[in-house]
Amino acid sequence: MSDLLIGFQDVLNPATLIWVAIGVTLGYVLGALPGLGKATGVAVCIPLTFYLGPVAALGMLIGIAKGSAAGSAVSAILLNTPGEPSSAPTALDGYPLARQGKAQKALKMGLFASVIGDFVSTVILIALAAPLARYALLIGPVEICAILLFSLTFIGGLSGNSLIKGLIAGAMGVFFSTIGLEAETFVSRMTLGLLELEDGIALVPMAIGMLAVAEMAVQAGNVKVLDSEGARITDGASRSDRVVLASEWRRCLPVIARGTLIGSVVGILPGLGASVGSFLSYGATKKASKTPEKYGTGMIEGVAAAESADNAVVPSSLIPLFALGIPGSVIAAILIAAFILHGLTPGPLMFQQQPRLVADVYAAMLCASVILLIVGYTGQRLFAQVIKAPLRLIIPGVLLLCTVGAYMETSSVFSIYVMLFFTVIGFFARKLDFSFVTFLIGFVIGPNLELSFRQSLQLLDHNAVNLAKHPIAVVFILLTVAVVWWIGRGKNPAAGGQVTRSSRATEKHVPTNS
Amino acid sequence: MRRANIISGVILAIFGLVMLAVVIPLQIDPGPDGMMSPRLVPGMMMGVVIALSLLLVINNIRAKEPEAADAGPPISRNELLALAKIGAVFGAAILLYLLVSPLPAGAVIVIGALVALGERRPLVLIAMPAGLLAAIWFLFYKVLGTGIV
Repeated sequence: MSDLLIGFQDVLNPATLIWVAIGVTLGYVLGALPGLGKATGVAVCIPLTFYLGPVAALGMLIGIAKGSAAGSAVSAILLNTPGEPSSAPTALDGYPLARQGKAQKALKMGLFASVIGDFVSTVILIALAAPLARYALLIGPVEICAILLFSLTFIGGLSGNSLIKGLIAGAMGVFFSTIGLEAETFVSRMTLGLLELEDGIALVPMAIGMLAVAEMAVQAGNVKVLDSEGARITDGASRSDRVVLASEWRRCLPVIARGTLIGSVVGILPGLGASVGSFLSYGATKKASKTPEKYGTGMIEGVAAAESADNAVVPSSLIPLFALGIPGSVIAAILIAAFILHGLTPGPLMFQQQPRLVADVYAAMLCASVILLIVGYTGQRLFAQVIKAPLRLIIPGVLLLCTVGAYMETSSVFSIYVMLFFTVIGFFARKLDFSFVTFLIGFVIGPNLELSFRQSLQLLDHNAVNLAKHPIAVVFILLTVAVVWWIGRGKNPAAGGQVTRSSRATEKHVPTNS
Repeated sequence: MRRANIISGVILAIFGLVMLAVVIPLQIDPGPDGMMSPRLVPGMMMGVVIALSLLLVINNIRAKEPEAADAGPPISRNELLALAKIGAVFGAAILLYLLVSPLPAGAVIVIGALVALGERRPLVLIAMPAGLLAAIWFLFYKVLGTGIV
């Protein structure tokens, strides 16, 4: 605690706070722009921090990560195009709310849920990171493999209308993640002789293509309809359409608490990421609701569930990074470079070697949460103006930004080819109801899944009976089977996920499978 | 959607078979002795895709006729046209990038998309690419202090 107070002393000065505020604002703007998420934002801004002190630099980068996690809800709610995949469930109810004239209400709830989730998760990070270092060592490859398999199955089942299609999408994602050099044997896999593929397919161009450009293509095909609908998106006349009412707070607070918990737990588990967190939270809230059929039509709880979990993942994903030196998410992986650059090597030893800098980082994170609330609340009206622009003027700008974002990943035109290839896949996946979110999650956790699977086979000596020595893994394998049965039973297996009329009505505008 | 499910299931099953039988053996070496084959996980995933795709096809063949509201094709002609137009815009932009420079390529993405979406006002066609490219230049080169190209 005393270290944390010293940390606040270091951070609470104008020279540092201004950079944290710039980071949050920049992150919020980048997050709101489709395709330019927190990973891209942090990666792009690392060179900018070369000339800053370590506290200001790390505070700014963490501010970008937090700001963009919250900002991605803006485009999800106003444009039905999530700034990044983890905000896809926000669009499911946020966009219908905007179309009902309740854009400001949805944005406010998204912001409040984001800030609460983010702040509480930061406190959890502070409380758990150091003590967890001892216990986290008990989780080995067998357990990780089982947990990843469970997560992929769960997401595959929940994120679409068909469990079969969800599982196909997940398997395809893992398959594409195997392209490139194999980590153990360094054998080149399915690179087609292209040097650019030796390091595998870059996530950012792929995600931009599948999510943003494919969505732009779909929207371009419906531009007249959507523009006429967009013109109908106006702020409601009554105050109740613009503010979050006390009754809505009462309904949403338990949802936010659950979302924060889910997001924090998902963040702690390496390899899952914010998309898993927000979808799990959304799915759990929908399942727990007495009126699940209303989700997707403008339930404010849906926005609260997705955003609280989405933002809770960011701080808690630093727990495995700080406790073990293992990045729990893409953003954590990118932040490793920045931390090392500024003299803080993530891992158990940093608590002994750099306690003051660790405390500074914690203090900067808590300050960033408060700044996020201020920036988000004051800038909301400005962002809400986006809804008044016709789509034919928005789409070209988004396409240009997507191109720049994809290109910057590798500074090569090959990234644009990757983006376009996955645009086509994303387009057809979207229209044929294959969950591209599950595909992306499969792609992200694929390398970890493969590595832990290989290690598990060796640890178990190729004998399934040895699984009995890993009770946590057994529990998750049983949970996987139970989830397949539970979700499969609740869906229409005959049609492989025939779309219902209600979901069909929203399908055109929803960037992911509901 | 049922027809689309059957077609997509068949295509995915064929894709999986081609990958499993041709691409994986040709493109992935068996790996050193005593180590697990690098083909293992890609092969397993394709096995899963083939099995699930066949299940998708069988389930949809056996399914009842869909309601009239669900009977239409899931992809409209306008959407396919828009995808083709965006593809053409990017094709032109890439050609310009490779043959000329990134600046006209960026301009073509904006102008091409505007024209493809029906925008015809000359002022918008000139001002928007200029404004966007200037804003990106300012953001990356001046604010962030990092070059794009």
